[in-house]
Amino acid sequence: MNFKTLLMGATCAVGLALSPLSALAQNAGGNLVYLVQPEPPSLASFLSTSGPIGLVAPKIYDGLFEYDNDLQIVPSLAESYEVSDDGKTITFTLREGVQWHDGAPFTSADVQFTVMEVLKQVHPRGPNSFREVTSIDTPDDYTAVFNLANPAPYMLRALSSYESPMVPKHLLEGTDLRASDLATNPVGTGPFTFVEWRKGQYVRLDRNENYWKPGEPLLERVVGRFIPDASTRTAALENGEVMYGAYGAIPNIDAVRLREQDGFSVTTDGYSMINPMALIEFNTTKPPFDNPAMRRAVSLVMDRQFLIDNIWFGYGKPATSALSSSFDKVGLYKAGLPNYPANGDLEAAIKQLDDAGILPDANGVRANVTLDLIPYGEDWRRAGEYMKQAMKPLGIEVELRYEDVPTWLNRIYAEYDFEMNVNFFYQLPDPVLGVHRHYGTDQIRQGTHFVNASRYSNPELDALLAAGAQEPDPIKRGEIYGEIQTILANDMPVANLFEMEFLTVYNDKLVNHATSALGAYGSFSEASITE
Amino acid sequence: MESSQRRTRYVLKRLFQAIPIVFAIVVLNFFLLQLAEGDAVDVLAGEAGAATPEYMAELREKFGLDKPLVVQLGVYLKNVVMLDLGYSFRHDMPVSELIFDRFFPTLLLMTSTILLAVGFGIVLGLVAASGLNTWRDTVISIFALITYATPLFWVGLMLIVVFSLNLGWFPTSGMENFAMFYEGWDRVLDIAHHLVLPTITLSLFYLALYTRLMRASMLEQAGQDYVTTARAKGVTERRIVFVHVLRNALLPVVTMAGVQVGALIGGSVIVESVFAWPGLGMLAFEALFARDLNLLLGIFLLSAILVVAVNLIVDIIYSTLDPRIEMA
Repeated sequence: MNFKTLLMGATCAVGLALSPLSALAQNAGGNLVYLVQPEPPSLASFLSTSGPIGLVAPKIYDGLFEYDNDLQIVPSLAESYEVSDDGKTITFTLREGVQWHDGAPFTSADVQFTVMEVLKQVHPRGPNSFREVTSIDTPDDYTAVFNLANPAPYMLRALSSYESPMVPKHLLEGTDLRASDLATNPVGTGPFTFVEWRKGQYVRLDRNENYWKPGEPLLERVVGRFIPDASTRTAALENGEVMYGAYGAIPNIDAVRLREQDGFSVTTDGYSMINPMALIEFNTTKPPFDNPAMRRAVSLVMDRQFLIDNIWFGYGKPATSALSSSFDKVGLYKAGLPNYPANGDLEAAIKQLDDAGILPDANGVRANVTLDLIPYGEDWRRAGEYMKQAMKPLGIEVELRYEDVPTWLNRIYAEYDFEMNVNFFYQLPDPVLGVHRHYGTDQIRQGTHFVNASRYSNPELDALLAAGAQEPDPIKRGEIYGEIQTILANDMPVANLFEMEFLTVYNDKLVNHATSALGAYGSFSEASITE
Repeated sequence: MESSQRRTRYVLKRLFQAIPIVFAIVVLNFFLLQLAEGDAVDVLAGEAGAATPEYMAELREKFGLDKPLVVQLGVYLKNVVMLDLGYSFRHDMPVSELIFDRFFPTLLLMTSTILLAVGFGIVLGLVAASGLNTWRDTVISIFALITYATPLFWVGLMLIVVFSLNLGWFPTSGMENFAMFYEGWDRVLDIAHHLVLPTITLSLFYLALYTRLMRASMLEQAGQDYVTTARAKGVTERRIVFVHVLRNALLPVVTMAGVQVGALIGGSVIVESVFAWPGLGMLAFEALFARDLNLLLGIFLLSAILVVAVNLIVDIIYSTLDPRIEMA
């Protein structure tokens, strides 16, 4: 007997005996299994804004607001709000009858504790979002009054369950926040309650029967699965074992294939809160990129559309300014700035260098540089290879460096031992939250990740950033940001490449999953599975 | 009586000898891991998107990373002696709990793989050797060559494409069905169902190895004098193969299997990754990239102990297979 037939026979027998199991997989109404990639380090969304935490925690916690796809405010734990005429007092009216998953009532004391004692203290972005908040008054259980030192219009965009989750005072007060049991055993007010987290396998959340939104959530259970291999993630989605994958869980190369298949869809909705921007950071403190002409030349020579079409399969939009064009909706974006050609402009780039007196040597080389690449996957390596080629005709000889995450972070943000670095930043729903950290002198914070590693410092710009943060009038605010973008297009401490479009790939049986600006960082409260 | 006493003494002696070895492995690993740039705090802060220098200093103090290396090593050794493997700050769990949680899936995959690979390897090697240069030998040798030369991740993905996507017999990945969460016997069946593809993938590589080893070993033994003697005595071919040759030929296979049990813990990273099998290999792999040194050291310690133990077991099996090998 041949071994192969024996093995085939055995697998056939086992397969036949067990195949009904897999057929049963998705029948029980409304159990959603979705991809969480990579596995989160914890579920403490009040301590960390790490991406994978955002994929799970907002199902468990609520924020004061949610935001629809046009970034308009939708009431959540706060039913309404009122801003005083001077912009320095904001009064939130809270929803009555909301319960924590352990049965305790949610009150204004929780809001006060969350913002003053948690988010302002230990959250990575909280100290910035709430920096103007001096105190919170709680005249009754369902009213929270925020007292601000200066108007902070951007704060109202930072109140989602992902960015500023409301956490239970009665479980956290007096404990060490960073060692809290809540990190692995979260208790919120959200549509799903935490059941179990098996490391390396899944995190399981079940329907919150006492959720405050009538009739929601629709799903019985939500299970986040961790599958390390990208091809297997795609196979699991194709096989119906998982129904949803966001933030690149399904690589673009597979997403464009699934897009053509029956039963699967691809969307770029659900990322408008995040505003991711691909870019190059320059070390402006040492040659050759201490010279703005060099930085402008690199920005000029990049064929942004080529990167998008060939490496990101057409998903993305060429950057045209320091701000994403999605800020056009709120009147902050300025169009028509120089030095951001969508298809690259080699002649203009060469002219920049010639005019600045940076001339080629006998071998045609103007500068030798090392390009660091963000170690978040193959796409970035391909991008680096393209950039190396693109800069060659300019006389810039590039060497690529690709390291693992801790080494790379240490090099860029602690040692400053780099010349140019490919990266991407979340610009978030307001420039104060996501963009200021890139350019302000006060954001040169050695050892802190994803801030001003270019060490660009310009007092004129600092003054404009400070003014922009406090200006309540939308028209004037737009003018201030227009000036900021003009300065940055000329000084170019960071060359924005393209506005990234992350993809969500999902099984068509899953409906209503992208109803908010938060997408995968939202709650799934309205989502359901249809047969 | 004599021999069983000697055996016990031998085992005790070997266990005693293992202590300095394991100790040396721990110290060596500790310093080796320090060579990696960046630490757990860099990774945690990096994933968070931003963190203040004060916060990072605070974390380092909490994790004990601000102390001199020698002190850190001393603390770690002291804890290990007291059977405390430390705390994984990344996972916010004691290391022993994490490892224990992952040990069962690893053991399951390892045992089924070793049994399948060694079992079929021995049978195939035997069949090939006894039909030397016939079509059986050729077919088995080609099969072994192909499976040995094929990358594991590719085999895994192809099995997924054929058996999961096209035929729909097996799930693509994971250890259980996470939409249903079966209990009792349904759960056992469910896990067995999920185990099939990873086991076949992982054992194909080793199967090829054992088949070739067994075949070579059989052929080598077949040319020995004692075989000629046995044949001259008029022993049947059947008896020569199964009683005389097979027993001797098994020695190298057992040695190899012993060595590979250690390698299987780490070597299954690829299979664990492709099939999202929640084993120790993946845990170690992730721990390395997160610079979760406590966890890594714990896993290394466990595999060191396992290798020492398996070697001891192999030596004992040796003396059973071949009484001439003494235990002293």
